[in-house]
Amino acid sequence: MASTACFMIVSKNDIPIYEAEVGTVPKKEDAAHQHQFILHAALDIVQDTAWNTSAMFLKSIDRFNDLVVSVYVTAGHILSFVMSD
Amino acid sequence: MATFLPQFQSIKSSFAHIVLSVEDVSDLWPTIKKGFEERLPFKRASLNNKTRNPVLVDELPAEFILTTDARLRSRFPQEQSLFWFREPYATIVLVTCEDLDEFKNILKPRLKLIVQNDDREWFIVYVSKAPAHNDQATKMAKKVFAKLEVDFSSKKRERCCKLDIHGPDPNFWDDLEGKIMECIRNTLDRRILFYEEEIRKLSEQRFMPVWNFCNFFILKESLAFMFEVAHLHEDALREYDELELCYLETVNMAGKQRDFGGMEKGDDQATLLDSGKKALAQIVQDDSFREFEFRQYLFSCQAKLLFKLKRPFEVASRGYSFIISFSGALALHESMLPFCMREVWVITACLALIGATASNYEDGLAAPDVEKEFYRVQGELHTLCHTKFMRLGHLVGYGSDIERSPVNSASLSMLPWPKPAVWPPLPPDASSEVLAKEKMILQESPRLKHFGIQRKPLPLEPSVLLREANRRRASLSAGNMSDLFDGRPRSGDGSGTPSAVQRVSNVSMSRTLSSPGNFDGSIDRPMRLAEIFVAAEHALRNTISDAELWKSLSSVEEFEKKYLDLSKGAANNYHRSWWKRHGVVLDGEIAAVHHKHENYDLAANLYEKVCALYAGEGWENLLAEVLPNLAECQKILSDQAGYLSSCVKLLSLDKGLFLPKERQAFQSEVVRLAHSEMEHPVPLDVSSLITFSSNQGPPLELCDGDPGTLTVALWSGFPDDITLESLSVMLTATNSNDEGAKAIKSSEAIVLMPGRNNITVSLPPQKPGSYVLGALTGQIGQLRFRSHSFSKGGPADTDDFMSFEKPTRPVLKVARPRSLVDLAAAVSSALLMNETQWVGIIVKPINYSLKGAVLHIDTGPGLSIAEKHEIEIEKHEFGANNTDHSDNPPDNHSPVSADVKQLSLEDGKINLPDWTSNITSVLWIPLKAISHGLAEGTPAGTVSQRQSIVDGLRTIALRLDFGVSHNQTFEKTVAVHFTDPFYVTTRVADKCSDGTLLLQVILQSQVKASLTVSDAWLDLQDGFAHTGKGDGRPVSKFFPLIVSSKSRAGILFSICVVDTPAKDGEELDPISVLNIRYTISGDRNLGAHSPVTKELTGPENETDPLTFRSALVLQRPVLDPCFAVGFLPLPSNGLRVGQLVTMKWRVERLKDSGKDVDSDDVDEVLYEVNVNSENWMVAGRKRGYTSLSTKQGSIIVISILCLPLVAGYVRPPQLGLPDVDKANISCNPPGPHLVCVLPPAFSSSYCVPAA
Repeated sequence: MASTACFMIVSKNDIPIYEAEVGTVPKKEDAAHQHQFILHAALDIVQDTAWNTSAMFLKSIDRFNDLVVSVYVTAGHILSFVMSD
Repeated sequence: MATFLPQFQSIKSSFAHIVLSVEDVSDLWPTIKKGFEERLPFKRASLNNKTRNPVLVDELPAEFILTTDARLRSRFPQEQSLFWFREPYATIVLVTCEDLDEFKNILKPRLKLIVQNDDREWFIVYVSKAPAHNDQATKMAKKVFAKLEVDFSSKKRERCCKLDIHGPDPNFWDDLEGKIMECIRNTLDRRILFYEEEIRKLSEQRFMPVWNFCNFFILKESLAFMFEVAHLHEDALREYDELELCYLETVNMAGKQRDFGGMEKGDDQATLLDSGKKALAQIVQDDSFREFEFRQYLFSCQAKLLFKLKRPFEVASRGYSFIISFSGALALHESMLPFCMREVWVITACLALIGATASNYEDGLAAPDVEKEFYRVQGELHTLCHTKFMRLGHLVGYGSDIERSPVNSASLSMLPWPKPAVWPPLPPDASSEVLAKEKMILQESPRLKHFGIQRKPLPLEPSVLLREANRRRASLSAGNMSDLFDGRPRSGDGSGTPSAVQRVSNVSMSRTLSSPGNFDGSIDRPMRLAEIFVAAEHALRNTISDAELWKSLSSVEEFEKKYLDLSKGAANNYHRSWWKRHGVVLDGEIAAVHHKHENYDLAANLYEKVCALYAGEGWENLLAEVLPNLAECQKILSDQAGYLSSCVKLLSLDKGLFLPKERQAFQSEVVRLAHSEMEHPVPLDVSSLITFSSNQGPPLELCDGDPGTLTVALWSGFPDDITLESLSVMLTATNSNDEGAKAIKSSEAIVLMPGRNNITVSLPPQKPGSYVLGALTGQIGQLRFRSHSFSKGGPADTDDFMSFEKPTRPVLKVARPRSLVDLAAAVSSALLMNETQWVGIIVKPINYSLKGAVLHIDTGPGLSIAEKHEIEIEKHEFGANNTDHSDNPPDNHSPVSADVKQLSLEDGKINLPDWTSNITSVLWIPLKAISHGLAEGTPAGTVSQRQSIVDGLRTIALRLDFGVSHNQTFEKTVAVHFTDPFYVTTRVADKCSDGTLLLQVILQSQVKASLTVSDAWLDLQDGFAHTGKGDGRPVSKFFPLIVSSKSRAGILFSICVVDTPAKDGEELDPISVLNIRYTISGDRNLGAHSPVTKELTGPENETDPLTFRSALVLQRPVLDPCFAVGFLPLPSNGLRVGQLVTMKWRVERLKDSGKDVDSDDVDEVLYEVNVNSENWMVAGRKRGYTSLSTKQGSIIVISILCLPLVAGYVRPPQLGLPDVDKANISCNPPGPHLVCVLPPAFSSSYCVPAA
């Protein structure tokens, strides 16, 4: 089954520094913005959540219909997002 | 039990507070009722909650009801136990009695009867009617009350209290309240126990077939209601929570498929905050309740309690979760529910929740964190509602009015279409509506983006609506799908793209236009898009019962209004929460609406916020979506500065985000504006677009004062070439802070190509120090721009991500001032005076090119340039001086040898040839030093050539202008020493007896060259004559006489003294002149050499002999001395500075005075002491007359007291006789002599000898 997955690393200042579409669904031109948008919106939630927990892996912090966003927060507050369905 | 539901509901609705029954035994109630009811509600009540923990309740309402009241009568026992919560919580027995007997006989048995029922909590209020002044009555009342207490109170519990009507005891009311509370507490405890027990019993049967949820519900809710009535809201809420859990557990039990509900008219409006909308009895199904209504009912009960607990934020967050989960439940039953029931319900639920929570919420109600969270949930609710509303709008054909932004696309494109069992069919008489819709579709034109950006619009649909709707129609099989696409192959990925939608709609439209009346034909024909819209609209009209909501969907304008309201609501709430990004993103949606409605001002403001967010965090893909819109607004608003800056930002975004054509459009806008007349020209920051760096390699190094050219690498982010009218590079000195950056301007217009450009700017002389590139400024047209960013795109740095943050390398180093060139005389030895000589000037560049240098030559006094001659220049060879060339013929050094170049002097300037720019060269200048004085020979023994050396010094002032643009100047005055070839000394070698004097003339060569004397003769002064032939020449065969460098030669002349008769009016020739004819053979590299002749002669040609003349002073020998002056010896202990010494001279007359002898025989002799006043101090007269006898042999001693001032060998004072011819004085010692003066003795002031 084809799956959508997007992996992104976001630096401490919320600047995206790496982005990769890793799903099996071929990348659509319009989806790139969408994935970026979803991950960008998830920054709000990470900001909320990251400081209230000692866990570094924040499992499915956000859902966007079928897409689930998980994030790994490093000690230096570098965020590694994984978005998948 | 389920049959009691209606009754339970009515009890609940009529019963609002705790009931206290009053047993009015003695008809006292009307009298004291007022006093009792004034105590209500109870200010403070202490009750026990379910876990038997005391809870303080404020403002507990209650009601006093007489036991005779109809409300407390005629109840069935079963009802009583089930609805026990409504039974009185305390029984107050009101009695009065003024007689002990009466009490004993009548009242007591009656009271016993009343209180014997254990179920009731009771206490007795004894009302004393005795007036205060009536002691008897008071006493009696006390007695009766005492009796009453004995009979009814126990040790454990006080059950009596006394009320004085005429003098109320202040303690009574407290006492009364305490007793009431005790009763309520006890009753409540007992009832809680009862309900718990009942609930436990039922719970145990939960998984048995006999289980009936309704029964359980009635018990549970009774308990909850009782808590609520007792104001124990927390406990009530807990009961409802448990009830909900239990319900969800049982409702989903397998094998018990029940009706879901939601099929009734008005069910689309959420009742999650309105528990009374539908009677519970209506939703009973078998032994349980319909899920649709019952879950909303439970939530509404919970919400009510939470509002009472002043926790609206909890209502919001619980409500949001509830809506999400309930929406899931609706999705499960979607096929049975009306079309879009789920969407409509979510919208109404969100709106109801937003309204209720917002009205119940006051700022500051909760902690800041909670408050932020509350606003976030509000924002989420708005967003959810917004999404569902857009979905509905899309279904009825407003899809083209929805902004295809990332947020809308993300919300909608992944949200599946409604899945009704059968897609709503087209109503039969809807042809006009279909036509209207089709017209609408036709008229809609995709809004062109500014700059002609053509971007695939973001999808708003999870899949093509046309296909989805037709697939769900009952009569259309999947096989007919190809009809939809007019025989075209289906796109591979199965999900249509928006362009496909457009294409499909066009296809169907054309079909419609060709046969407008054809659409209500066969049922198997697939529906067209317009038909789908109309069908959905009709279906929705049936679903939606809320007029307000329907109105919002009735027209595009209303739709947009609601859309905007929801967006604004969401944005505002997000802004008040932590989720700023969500807020800003929604601001973008609002901006899009404003933009569409040409409210560009508002739109630009909001777009700016969005762009700032994305730009600040570097999310370029998202920025690329919004920025063109902002630019368009700014353009329309004539915000030129903003527009330009937006264009620059667009250009500086990642190249892959826009097509080359679009990027060119951005650039052409920048150029167009730059060349137009701008109202308020502002500097444009293009740091992101034009970056710069110094070139690779070491920094440019310049000497102080030198201009240079600096190469700067510029990276242009413009897609095309761009012409810069001017460009300036700021240089900032790294070592000094006070000095501001200096702008170095490039003079001509520059065309920047995309990518790397190398720009050279000419650099005026800078102060010493090292410089870094500061900023770049320039002009495009009339637009000034600045760039501050160092390039990160340098080829060598590309692998280093952070390279642009590196401290910048110095780009220019200006060295501290140092000597760049040296000028020196090539020859230190003396040159020939009065002859044209080559004066060598060594021009030595010190690591600096002398290209184009000009030498100014200014000869000092007594020196002139022989302008007839060319100036020569040759390469200077180190060590050439060391080689002794004196033996070689001078002609071996031909002036026209290969490495000697001729130069000409113009206006005292010489242009140095380029080949000398980096090598040390010698410039030979023909110079002639002129000395008009005649050289003087001195008698042998006196060795002072100093005067002649000073006389021979000449200076040449040299100024060298050099450097890249003749900016450097070096000045030096070079001293050149000229001299005569010989230094002549004479001495009388012998005095012959015949009066012949052999005069030895000693020639000391003063030059570093070989001198060949070919002839010499002596022109004698008067008083002398040559002996012999008398031509004054020595024997000619001695010539040529070669005098090599620094050596001496002597010539003998034989002369005699003659008496020359004095001629009247003729001065005697006082000097003799020695004439020497000589030639010189020397090397100009070493010193004196043969004079520069006009014609350059070959090596074989003899140079003309030169003539040297020297004056000689011949003194007649002292042949007839008249006086002898002798310097008498000095004291043997020597001279010492500061010690007086007597100098003595003995003057003796050697001859009788030639004058006539006077009678007194005494002649006055004038004497004078010559002394150097620096060395000696003379005490006494230096000059005076002394008398000396005229007779031969008379002697006189002249003493002078002197004080030596300087230690060392100094000339002592000399005694002279000015009146006497020198020829007549014989001195001893004959010449100057020296005496030794010792340094002063150590001070001995305090050591004076005793003697």
